[in-house]
Amino acid sequence: MPLTGTSTRSSLWREEGSTSMRAIGYFIGTFAAALILGIGSAWYMIERGSPLTTSTVGPWKSWLSEGNPNADPYTRAHLARSGRLPLTSTAARYFAANTDSRGSTLSSGCEYSIVGAPLNARWWSVALYDEYGSLIANPSNRYSFNSEEALRRADGSFRINLSRNARPENWLPSGAGTNRNLVLILRVYGSRDTDISGIGQIPPDRLPKIERVRCG
Amino acid sequence: MRVSLPGLYIALGIVLAGLIHVVAVLTLPTLAPRDAQARLAALGPANTMIQLPPPTPGRQVMPLMAPDVRYAFCRYDLSDGPVRLRAHIADEHWLIGFYTPLGENFYAVVGADMKQPEVDLIIATADQTVAEVGVDSPEAFDNVVVVSSPVVEGIALIRAPLAGSSRSAEAERALKATYCGQHKTSG
Repeated sequence: MPLTGTSTRSSLWREEGSTSMRAIGYFIGTFAAALILGIGSAWYMIERGSPLTTSTVGPWKSWLSEGNPNADPYTRAHLARSGRLPLTSTAARYFAANTDSRGSTLSSGCEYSIVGAPLNARWWSVALYDEYGSLIANPSNRYSFNSEEALRRADGSFRINLSRNARPENWLPSGAGTNRNLVLILRVYGSRDTDISGIGQIPPDRLPKIERVRCG
Repeated sequence: MRVSLPGLYIALGIVLAGLIHVVAVLTLPTLAPRDAQARLAALGPANTMIQLPPPTPGRQVMPLMAPDVRYAFCRYDLSDGPVRLRAHIADEHWLIGFYTPLGENFYAVVGADMKQPEVDLIIATADQTVAEVGVDSPEAFDNVVVVSSPVVEGIALIRAPLAGSSRSAEAERALKATYCGQHKTSG
């Protein structure tokens, strides 16, 4: 086979004529395209995740083996890039959302209602960040609501109102100033429902819905 | 076998892209300059328990830190022998995670699973012997757990989730009472 390959190439070479400059040009072009494709796909799978590494339920994305010593190379790269120290999925589960339940990007220019069913866990928390992972300054120094402090209804469900201006019930301020993109992180420590390997399971219908109320 | 020239370049491009993809994914963890270890090393020496300042807008040691969890860490270095970690678990929410510099969580102590609130741990590599250290008072060693660390330098991170925003001073006081230091092998 290599012989055939060589002969094919050399015959093609001749067909191309003596314009070897053109061949070099093709080669550089191929290499550049490969570089963009290779790095781009790696970046995407590390930054955004893929079905291999992340589970997606509505707006919530979760890296399944984050922090696990036996994690796949994509998860390991994602973790190293993030600079975080997450617990493995047997101790805690992390869910991140940067869109509402309909898929529009979360923005501080809009108002949202985060409606959650009771979570069967020792402790959970919904925290708000800007797109760079930083907390957002607000006069009441309120950055999150957790299972101990969120006002809940008799059935254990809760509603967190995410908006610029003060709202009743649980108000999570999205900060004044120019519109920014937002990220919500749901942390669930000590989930009581686990699969056989002890990984905390949160039934998909238990993850909070993020409903856009209005914009502007 | 007749292969068209564009086809050949496309095949070559795909193989190259695949190779570059694999190399990029595998080398990235070692190239990330701002990993957790580097961030924590800037805060103080090894083998000492250090409390992380609570994250505030625009200022946090690690990205996406929980605003309602108080943290303390010990960057341990086992090159001079095992390291001791002691903590009085203030409530069942506490979690102690052990990490490699790349952020692999190889061991965790879950507060709710502990029978008593006193946590006494000796962190050692697989080839370090921790035995016979407490010969003079063996009963005091009954509750000591040896954590086998796959790395010589790693991180122990204590999480104290808050039971409410007014409870942070309490959690910080409890974290301050935790200890991390060189384990004395005088025995």
